[in-house]
Amino acid sequence: MKKFLIVLLIVALLMGFTACTQTEVPEEPEAPAVADETPPEEEEPKPAEKTIINFAVQADSTPALEKIVQAFNEQSETYEVKATIMTNDSGQMHDQLLNSLSSKSGEYDVISMDVVWAGEFAGAGYLEPIDQLMMDKGWKPTDFNAGSMDSGKYKGKNYVLPYFPDLGLLYFRSDIVSAEDVAILQSGEYTFDDLIAMGEKYQGEKETKYAFVYQSKQYEGLVCNLNEFTGNWTDIEGGLNVLKQMMDKGLTPEDILNYTEGETANALLNGEAVFARNWPYVNGMLQSGEYDVKVDQVGYAPMPKGGTVGGWILGINANSQNSDGAKEFLTFVAGPGGQKINATEGSYLPGLNALLDDDEVLASNQLLTDEGFQNALANTTSRPVVPNYSEVSDQIQISAHQYLSGNSSIEDAVAGIEAALAE
Amino acid sequence: MNRAKTSTLFKIVIVLYLFIIIFPFFWVAVTSLRPEAEIWGSGALQLKGAAFTTENYKLLFKTPVLNSLKNSLIISTITTIYVTFVASLCAYAIARLDFKFKKLLTVIVLVTSMFPQMIVIGPIYRVFVQLGWTNSYYISLPYSNITLPVAIFILITHFSQIPKEMEESATMDGSSKINTFFKIILPLAAPGIFTAAIIIFIGAWNEFLLSLTLNTNEAWRTATVNISFLRGQFEIFWGQVTAATVVVTIPTLIIVILFQKQIVSGITSGALKE
Amino acid sequence: MKLSKWADKNAGYILILPAVIIIVLFSIAPIIGTLRYAFFDMQLNNQAKNDMYFESNINVALNQETITYLNYYLDIDMDSVQNKDTIAKIDEIKKDLRELELFIAEKIASSDLRAIVQVGQAEQNALLERQQSIVNKLDELYSMDDEFYSPEDTMAVASEFETSIIESNFSGVDNFTKVLKDERVHSTLTFTLIFTVISVFAELIFGLALALIMNKPFKGRSLVRTFSLIPWAIPTSVAALIWSYLYNGSSGIVSHIFTTIGLINSPASMLNSAQNALGGIIIADVWKTTPYMALLLLGGLQVIPNSLYESSALEGARSWQQFRYITLPLLKPSIFVALLFRTLDAFRILDLIYVLTGGGPGGSTESISLYAYKVMFSQTRFGYGSAIVLIMALVVGIITFIYIKALNVDLLGEKR
Repeated sequence: MKKFLIVLLIVALLMGFTACTQTEVPEEPEAPAVADETPPEEEEPKPAEKTIINFAVQADSTPALEKIVQAFNEQSETYEVKATIMTNDSGQMHDQLLNSLSSKSGEYDVISMDVVWAGEFAGAGYLEPIDQLMMDKGWKPTDFNAGSMDSGKYKGKNYVLPYFPDLGLLYFRSDIVSAEDVAILQSGEYTFDDLIAMGEKYQGEKETKYAFVYQSKQYEGLVCNLNEFTGNWTDIEGGLNVLKQMMDKGLTPEDILNYTEGETANALLNGEAVFARNWPYVNGMLQSGEYDVKVDQVGYAPMPKGGTVGGWILGINANSQNSDGAKEFLTFVAGPGGQKINATEGSYLPGLNALLDDDEVLASNQLLTDEGFQNALANTTSRPVVPNYSEVSDQIQISAHQYLSGNSSIEDAVAGIEAALAE
Repeated sequence: MNRAKTSTLFKIVIVLYLFIIIFPFFWVAVTSLRPEAEIWGSGALQLKGAAFTTENYKLLFKTPVLNSLKNSLIISTITTIYVTFVASLCAYAIARLDFKFKKLLTVIVLVTSMFPQMIVIGPIYRVFVQLGWTNSYYISLPYSNITLPVAIFILITHFSQIPKEMEESATMDGSSKINTFFKIILPLAAPGIFTAAIIIFIGAWNEFLLSLTLNTNEAWRTATVNISFLRGQFEIFWGQVTAATVVVTIPTLIIVILFQKQIVSGITSGALKE
Repeated sequence: MKLSKWADKNAGYILILPAVIIIVLFSIAPIIGTLRYAFFDMQLNNQAKNDMYFESNINVALNQETITYLNYYLDIDMDSVQNKDTIAKIDEIKKDLRELELFIAEKIASSDLRAIVQVGQAEQNALLERQQSIVNKLDELYSMDDEFYSPEDTMAVASEFETSIIESNFSGVDNFTKVLKDERVHSTLTFTLIFTVISVFAELIFGLALALIMNKPFKGRSLVRTFSLIPWAIPTSVAALIWSYLYNGSSGIVSHIFTTIGLINSPASMLNSAQNALGGIIIADVWKTTPYMALLLLGGLQVIPNSLYESSALEGARSWQQFRYITLPLLKPSIFVALLFRTLDAFRILDLIYVLTGGGPGGSTESISLYAYKVMFSQTRFGYGSAIVLIMALVVGIITFIYIKALNVDLLGEKR
């Protein structure tokens, strides 16, 4: 038996090496295999002559996405956009997209990406550069949100247009916090220690259970939060200490280490939390008036050391078979039409700068005229921009989460994060 | 000896065991019938005054769960059919016929069943990508590497139990070996083959890794992977998640109840030769 | 010789052929593939490393895109520049770009513009020279005193020339040395081994006890057996989901019960502390596979002839002695098979953890399979991931070897 195994192993090795020299010819993406043609899931019958454009996008809790797709489909004669809703765990969505893109599949034509993925995807050759497209349209990169455009510029080429820019900000219960403190918060002139002190002061008022909620599950959201708490990684130990202190003092829910945006929003909207760190989308939920806490009970402020730049950007799959349709849809969503719907229906920040002065947009999104929010907009900070971002982020998440969950020392956590950033 | 005492102890142990086995299912099934609002927080722990609703199932059926069940069913059925056939031929040859490399083949079958599945996934993924086979029912083909070895071992046991005289008399009559196999052995081995088929089906139904990597498109995902994604969303809707769990468990439950005997014989014969 | 006769003589080979083909295609070939990957620095999301390259190759498509982009930027520059010299320089570079295109078409990709083409050393050098000369001229251009659109962008684009030449990414045993030094391999391997040892041991003890019970005739025995099958038969991901509900911090009944009896500090800590999460995973695994273990052992028990017990009872053996001297020795082969199967199964655990904890908190419950999966499918480092998997396979081999030696059982059931 042993002999057989050895022979098998040798044969295997030999075969392996003789086969190594072959060069694979990545074939032109042809018509998909037979099995690909008819997705088993069929929605309501549609006019057959329109070409389907597949849009891979995260779920939208506001009506904006649906309305944009609807508006596009109504005005387009040739294309019909079908939105494929991906999971909302951004890590999982990243893996799924990567899987599909690296297989050179044209499954998705237009892709919505977290700002931190664009470098990786562009470097891998998965995205189609859009400079020519922009020139044809007469658009300049400076017409769009700078942070979003930067995140999608790789080796001198632009690959993305903004879907919606985002930034981390502090929501607070203006019906609980004193006018004096509101002014301090809105100005942004306060420290995390001040925030802890305020938390201790207000926790429990008006039946709140927690002083502060934020995202510290082991996922990308934790990196966004850490970026803010550590002042863009200038004081890693201090930032981790603040988080730990809040937990130890009972200012946060017990399972804060499992909190993502969803839990955070719930805690604020159900009146459980005084302060919540979250993205602007929560304002849309507040506006709907469907929750216990109403919009006039909440104020907005910058995070003490600035808010993380986030948001989503749109790119075109380099292997898309409907590249023209993809371009048409991309320019629609990122252009005035789509961005206006996104801003008015979903309270998203417009990625098109011109809309920041648009009366309709300003009227629909009271955030844009809010003093605290304007200060937050002026005070942002970016996550590390590196080609192997997912590895770096993974390392940071693990180090921090291990410390916060009491499974390692602060020295190890700081060292781990520093090592990840140094790579 | 204190018979009464042991028998009471015995009963307690069995009841406790059944309770531990069943309780998670029971609790999940109950949760799936409660309104989402009640499941949140400590309200989930009390059954008193609980309101019952089928809302979770209605919501669930709007997600692609039914479609994923269909995928699972098709993929598992294809796998079961061809693997059962191929394994029957091979197992019969190993059990009854003489040929060179018989032992080598047995060793290879055994060894391939022992390797971690991760070892084949990379190359299979790349080949599938090159052939354009991702997101299709072609995924049934690599499913062979989790089901074929087990099936072969189960069937070897069953074929060895068929009395040799049957074949011998057939051979006397001038029937060829292959003919004998199809005409005489197969009908006799039908119960064993059925057992193997059920075990293969369960194995294919439960597969996770291949489905996770090869069929990434929601439209092609199998139930096992699909339900694990239900939870990744903004909030965890436990009502829907538990409802999904119940829905995916039901087919397995039916199979287990209907074919209990065959499964037990499959488990034991797959592991024990002789 | 007639065909039927030939078929009869070779019936064995004919019957095994389909199985052999399937095993070769879907087990052996992929294993060889993994072996090959492990010797390359292969990374799907890197254009220069997304396959195994022994020789140099040219990414013609990328080269072409770079040329197009340079032309595009130079055209923009052309609108803003004032000097005659700069205009001449731009024209010169544009001419070079055209020539480069011609060179590619003639010497490298004559018939079609396939994405990646293998080249000889001479062509590669010639190409490199042309590309370098263009980059140099661009440098000269942007050091001239004139109005340019964006020199940084243009130079960044030009740097893609470098990326379009793909060098061999054969890396020898580098991946393996890196795996051996990788802290995360150490920690995931340790976790996997701890998990395997504890859960398999617990499963053996409980499984044996259950098998002994189920071997006794009692009312409802077949019902008990049917129920035993359920946890084994349901998909692992479903079981993991069920337990993740029972364990969850706010509404999980098991996490609340554990808190009440003092096993854990608070319901929320069930999956938030490394030890509790390990315990949680083990409980879920034991719940799912103990019944299976019991059935395997039951099969072994039923083969033991009753007469042995009867005769020993006549000799006055106590039940414990019967167990020790009759049951255990005769059950050894079954125990061996059950243990081996379960150990290998537990060692490659992936789906239970993927769904239940995702490897958290802080990576403390990440199994080696899960780590390999993440390396291959989240980071697309197929070369490195393959090396991890091979190390895993090696450990599997060692485990099997230890079992065979320790229990002294013949794997193929040949009695000597």
